[in-house]
Amino acid sequence: MSLSFQVKKHLRRFSIDVGFSTEEELTVLFGPSGAGKSLLLNVLSGIARPDSGFVKINDIEVFNSTTGINIPIRERRIGYLFQDYALFPHMTVFENIAYGINHLSKNRMKAKVEELIALMRLIGFEDRLPKELSGGQKQRTALARTLATEPRILFLDEPFSALDYQVREKLRADLSLIHQRYPMTTIFVTHDLEEAFVMGEKIAIINNGRLEQFGTKDEVFYKPKTRNVAKFLGSRNIFTGRVASLNGTIAIINNPDVGEIKALIDIKGPQLLVGEDVTFGIRPEEIMVIRPDRPIDKKIQDNILDGEVVTTIGKGASHTVYFKIKGTDTNLKIEIPNFAYRKLNLSKGKQISVSLKRESIWMIPEKQVKV
Amino acid sequence: MDVFPVYLTLKVSVVATFFSVAIGLALAWLMARKDFWGKGVLDAIIMQPLVIPPTVLGYYLLVLLGRSGTVGRFLEDVLGVTLVFTWKGAVVAAFVASLPLFVRPARAAIEGVDKNMENAARLLGKTEWEVLKTITVPLAWRGIIAGAVMAFARATGEFGATLMVAGNIPGMTQTLSIAIYDAVQMGNTKMANMLVGIITIFSFLVLYFVNRFTKGRY
Repeated sequence: MSLSFQVKKHLRRFSIDVGFSTEEELTVLFGPSGAGKSLLLNVLSGIARPDSGFVKINDIEVFNSTTGINIPIRERRIGYLFQDYALFPHMTVFENIAYGINHLSKNRMKAKVEELIALMRLIGFEDRLPKELSGGQKQRTALARTLATEPRILFLDEPFSALDYQVREKLRADLSLIHQRYPMTTIFVTHDLEEAFVMGEKIAIINNGRLEQFGTKDEVFYKPKTRNVAKFLGSRNIFTGRVASLNGTIAIINNPDVGEIKALIDIKGPQLLVGEDVTFGIRPEEIMVIRPDRPIDKKIQDNILDGEVVTTIGKGASHTVYFKIKGTDTNLKIEIPNFAYRKLNLSKGKQISVSLKRESIWMIPEKQVKV
Repeated sequence: MDVFPVYLTLKVSVVATFFSVAIGLALAWLMARKDFWGKGVLDAIIMQPLVIPPTVLGYYLLVLLGRSGTVGRFLEDVLGVTLVFTWKGAVVAAFVASLPLFVRPARAAIEGVDKNMENAARLLGKTEWEVLKTITVPLAWRGIIAGAVMAFARATGEFGATLMVAGNIPGMTQTLSIAIYDAVQMGNTKMANMLVGIITIFSFLVLYFVNRFTKGRY
């Protein structure tokens, strides 16, 4: 199944204008709250009508403003898992799951519902009403209800946002499993960065109703195309500089705070010119803290900066370290695994050196930033 | 004792409530879920009986449904139905008077149904009619029952408009409320007390059982 679209919709104070196409895979729709993610799903599923544009499922138009095609919601065969699940409160778990397939013969319907109840670990809960279920059970019921109708496309609107951490981990695993078993074009909406990284094969970043970037996970995370993308994806370390020289695969950028930086040019990326302004940066987890007791590895001998640790924040599996570059007011955010954090014995005020690996630095020519 | 007024009141109220619910449900759904030109005007017309004096309402109906009225002539000439000064006229009066009492709570209840609930049903392949039948109405059930009870109560108590349209013909169009008025006028206190007693007990029981059976299940 494939989904492709280009839609515009104006509301009173907000508009969306987004298009991309995706095939049998999981696409994460990522963006801050209020970016238009849910509105986009509503427009694609037919709940809201776009002002203009088209929506195609498997190359067949279900909406086209020019030709006037507008297939009703019920015939689009899109599965939509709402953020609040929208389970029917007056029906039991069994009835909820059976709701979309009650036109089938009784035996086939029952067999299908029972299969999904087993798959979703809901055995024993068939006769409960939604209000008697936990958050995770509600969500699995809603997912089973959607899967029962064998949708062509699946929309998941922040499916885990209302659940606690443990349940979330388990459901993510469930979802990946289901995705493997029933490969379906899936759009997964989230504003949780970690979730986007874990779930996404492809990531579409939307902000203020516009698509900022659409690409594979690695492209989006490590080669952001816009400053916003870099910002949303948690790259706090964003700078502007000027291209001093280009030397084959290496660009040298000048910035008053971090000095001269060598960066590997992305061959697929935009063309760089000497003398032009660029935005560049590096993800917090790509910054290496140099161990003073060891010779510097060849890979990290470029872009070495001295400075001191300003603060450290423990975040479970990793630590966030804020590092102030010597002689400047510029801070770098560094994400460092706990074992390394302990080994390096980092603490506030400690003098350290860090390396910005040249292949980890992304660059966006300024003329493209302003688009 | 003549039980005819009790029987007639029940008959008129049941039939009028039936029409109020059937037509009122369509109106309530329309008002709650659709936007159309003239919605505000339609709303004001449906709600008129709440503010207009019952005698004025009755007068309008009399003019409209009487032999000289357009609707009345059509009904009599084409369908052979006479409304004025018959029990059917009492039904029309009770229906018009009770309609807003049904539409108001029913509309509010439908508006209270989460639209995503209906959208979820549509996404699962259901037609608008199926969505209404299996999701909207069951979820708005309590408001609809409440509205039906209010409409029924209003219909049983209808006096002014009924008197104008159906008159006060004992054994034909004399409903309970009118019979009570008649009894008091004729100084028949015993009769009045009995009829008042019947209507009081009946009203209490209706409300009691409705409250009992519509307590939230979900």
